[in-house]
Amino acid sequence: MATNPLTLLQGTLDLLVLRCLASGPQHGYAIATIVREQTSGDISVEDAALYQALHRLHRQDLVDAEWGPSENNRRARFYTLTPAGRKRLREETANWRRYVRAVDAVLQGA
Amino acid sequence: MPCYRELEVFKSHAGNREPGSGIRKKKPFWYLRRKSVRAEVDEELSLHLDMRINELIAAGMTPDEARREALRQFGDLDATREYCRRQDEEREKEMQRALLLEDFMQDLRIGIRSLLRAPVLTLTIIVTVGLGLGATAAIFSAVSAALLRPLPYAEPESLVRIYTDAPPFKFRFSVADYLAFTEQQQRFERHATYTDRAVSFANGDTAELLVTRVVSWGFFSVLGIQPMIGRDFNEQDGKAGTPPVAIAGHSFWQQRLGARADAIGKPVRLDGAEYMLIGVMPPAAGPLERRFDLFLIQQFTPPPRKGPFFYSVIARLPRGADRDLATGELRALNRALFPIWKSSYQDDKATWSMEDLKTNLVGDVGTLAGLALGAVGLVWLIACANASNLLIARVTSRRQELAVRAALGATRGRVLRYLLAESAVLAAGAVALGVGVAWAGMQLLQAQGATYFPRTQEIRFDASMIWLMAGLAISSALIFGLVPGLHATSGPGDASLRSGRTVAGGAGARRLRRSLVAAQFAIATPLLIIAALLLTSLDRLRQVDLGFDTGRVLIGSIRLPGAQYSDNSRVTVFWDEMRRRIEALPGVASIAFADGLPPNNVGNFNNFDLEQYPTAAGESQPVTPWVAVSPEYVRTLGLTLVEGRLLDAQDPERDAAAEALLSVMVDRAWARRFFPGESAVGKRLRSGGCTTCPWTTVVGVVSEVKYAGIDQPDDGTVYTPLAGGTARFVVVRTEGEPLSIASSLQQAVRELEPAAPLSNVATMTSLVDQSLAQPQSLSLLVTSFAVVALLLSVIGIYGVMGYYVQQHLKEISIRMALGGSQSDVARLVLGHGMTVVGIGIAVGIAVALAATRLMASLLFNVGATDPMSYLSAGFLLFAVAVLACAVPAFRAMRLQPATVLRNE
Repeated sequence: MATNPLTLLQGTLDLLVLRCLASGPQHGYAIATIVREQTSGDISVEDAALYQALHRLHRQDLVDAEWGPSENNRRARFYTLTPAGRKRLREETANWRRYVRAVDAVLQGA
Repeated sequence: MPCYRELEVFKSHAGNREPGSGIRKKKPFWYLRRKSVRAEVDEELSLHLDMRINELIAAGMTPDEARREALRQFGDLDATREYCRRQDEEREKEMQRALLLEDFMQDLRIGIRSLLRAPVLTLTIIVTVGLGLGATAAIFSAVSAALLRPLPYAEPESLVRIYTDAPPFKFRFSVADYLAFTEQQQRFERHATYTDRAVSFANGDTAELLVTRVVSWGFFSVLGIQPMIGRDFNEQDGKAGTPPVAIAGHSFWQQRLGARADAIGKPVRLDGAEYMLIGVMPPAAGPLERRFDLFLIQQFTPPPRKGPFFYSVIARLPRGADRDLATGELRALNRALFPIWKSSYQDDKATWSMEDLKTNLVGDVGTLAGLALGAVGLVWLIACANASNLLIARVTSRRQELAVRAALGATRGRVLRYLLAESAVLAAGAVALGVGVAWAGMQLLQAQGATYFPRTQEIRFDASMIWLMAGLAISSALIFGLVPGLHATSGPGDASLRSGRTVAGGAGARRLRRSLVAAQFAIATPLLIIAALLLTSLDRLRQVDLGFDTGRVLIGSIRLPGAQYSDNSRVTVFWDEMRRRIEALPGVASIAFADGLPPNNVGNFNNFDLEQYPTAAGESQPVTPWVAVSPEYVRTLGLTLVEGRLLDAQDPERDAAAEALLSVMVDRAWARRFFPGESAVGKRLRSGGCTTCPWTTVVGVVSEVKYAGIDQPDDGTVYTPLAGGTARFVVVRTEGEPLSIASSLQQAVRELEPAAPLSNVATMTSLVDQSLAQPQSLSLLVTSFAVVALLLSVIGIYGVMGYYVQQHLKEISIRMALGGSQSDVARLVLGHGMTVVGIGIAVGIAVALAATRLMASLLFNVGATDPMSYLSAGFLLFAVAVLACAVPAFRAMRLQPATVLRNE
């Protein structure tokens, strides 16, 4: 196994990637950009981890990969959510919300 | 052409993805794919880096700075590249596996579909191969149960049978023998003796005959089996004077004693005496304790003379014992024992000996087993050869189609796989049928096989059967799948494409098919010859003169309860009354009693010494069947008196005072054997090895009857007067249909003595048929297999010749156009086909000459090389083959040369 700098955040990263694909096909660079813009740099996602997550999700058949023309007319690999990926996104989103609420409740009570 | 419908299969998934992978790939198929996975990952990552660099340059960095920054932001590039590649490769592999399975399922579907389009071919192959496979497995199950599997007893290899060896006979022991053996032996760990007895069991008002085995107390412990309930016999039970005890067989306990545990300790009335039940055996597994209702304890009393010899002996050797030493001890014991009984027993040459118990129980079935197994195995092989032949023809005519597929990009392996899928479907069908046939055959053998084969109850569908069936199935699929498949995919495909209208088969296919057909005939010939030999043998057996008119004879057996008829005079009165009552029945012409019956039920054999030609010291005395009969016997069976007088009521069985036999009758064969050229009447002899008894005189000579089996020679029979005895056969000559008086006969016996039922009622004709049952079913089995083999061979030669004519249409037409006559054409085709057949038959005859010698013991009055059987089998094969070749030859003769040539 390659060393993974974001091991602890792996589940979260997968969730973010799936969420980025919910609105339509994207290539890796676009996903990296979206994550950076939407988190306004609060979470720094290494590109290496992002690509590893994409290929891992692809192997699990949660996303589909297809070559297509990029904005500057080069061959780019576009990722799409599969039905299984869409389902996983729903489940993981719900899980994440529950997790946050639970942690939040403890923090506020303290 | 309909066969092109399936072309979509060969747009294989691999081809779809990699258009460049080509028709003939030099590298393994995954090589290019792996490279493309690596390239794809590289391309994706470098695109990302390029876009990031461009962005950074747009933000004002120099290209060098931008590159460094982009790489820093990315993180561990090499590790990521590796990780992504591995993920993608794994994914590819998984998909590949799924696709292979999908391809295979598709092949299978298409295989089934295309086979369904040729139902006759499919059915022929599945039925013939399935039958051959199933029958082979079924026969193997019997052979395995009888010969291969050890006896179901503890350490069965240590068990031996001990007997008196007087070649060619193996005699059982007498009480005197066994007691002497028990006292003096030191080399056997355990031993026991047993003898079988039918006893009448009083069950309410009616009595029935039970099959019991009277055993010495150690019988079960020798075998290493124990009662399921209750206790085994112990040494005390075997002592004379102890109340007699019995152990019930499992099925008797279930059926007659209501499977109640409290049956133990209760008395059972047998032959009027009481036995205490002490145990119940578990369901029987082995040949020594199966079939018996009850086991009775044997209590010995010191015998007055050495005979009679009714006791079978089994013993267990200590582990690792030296068998030669044990045999040596038996010999020494017999030598020491011999002088003691010299006055009543004389046979210097006889000695005690032993053999492995399994060998003894299984007997000489090796030949029969080999023949049956060989016959079915050959049928299976011939069926596979036939299937192979038919499939080669099918493949050859589809060569063009296959060539198109190859040209469109299917690899040789792909085409082969497609053809193998078809064979796999056929093999699966054959196996399914074969399992059914094997199962049915095993049921049949279990139920009916006991007459022909030992240990049929032990037939099981066990692991060895599964291995055998799997082996046969795989061999079948390979024989009829791989041979045609390799043939179809060999050689350049485009030649087939170019050759246009004439379907090109190639010389290779023709040679292969001809060899297969020749092999079929080479297998069918010995089978037919063996069938002919067995049928001739059966026919000769049927023609054997039993010595009397077997029609209108009814027989049965009666056993008096010993306890109530211990008094001799009461017994005599009973039999006289019985004879009177049966004689008075309507439809009875005549009635007699005997203790032996034709055709194969000798009550006793006995040895004797002639006054005129005494047996020299060191030689064995002659032994012949020894049948006790009532005075009416000769008239009832319809024998003729040749010389002297018949035994009559004035001839007592034994002289009361001297305990000696005074007069006997002999048959013509006996008289010829011992007194050739002179009269046997008035000659005297002493029987049973007795040297001090008064002489016995031969008073008459009658015609011969077979007692020792239809296939046995007439070695002479001695008839003694039958007076007492509690067990007899009843022989009735009827005026009409014999079975019509069976019930009134049984009624008469029941009225006279309810405790002595008339059992085993049968007509003499049915007894004769029964004694022929074994050779009859063996010849039926082999003949039916031979016929199947013949049919398959004919299908083979017909197919090959039809194809030959098809391929040589042009050549034949040219010949005819050039003035060749129709008979030339016929000669060409027939000559071609019959060469193949002739080679096959010649090889087959050579095989038969070698093989039939091994089955001489199964033949009666027919030599193993009987020319008539060889000729008729060979002629039949030849004639049928000529017919099969004649049909295509006829078609060739009627060709219109002009039409054929114009179409070319």
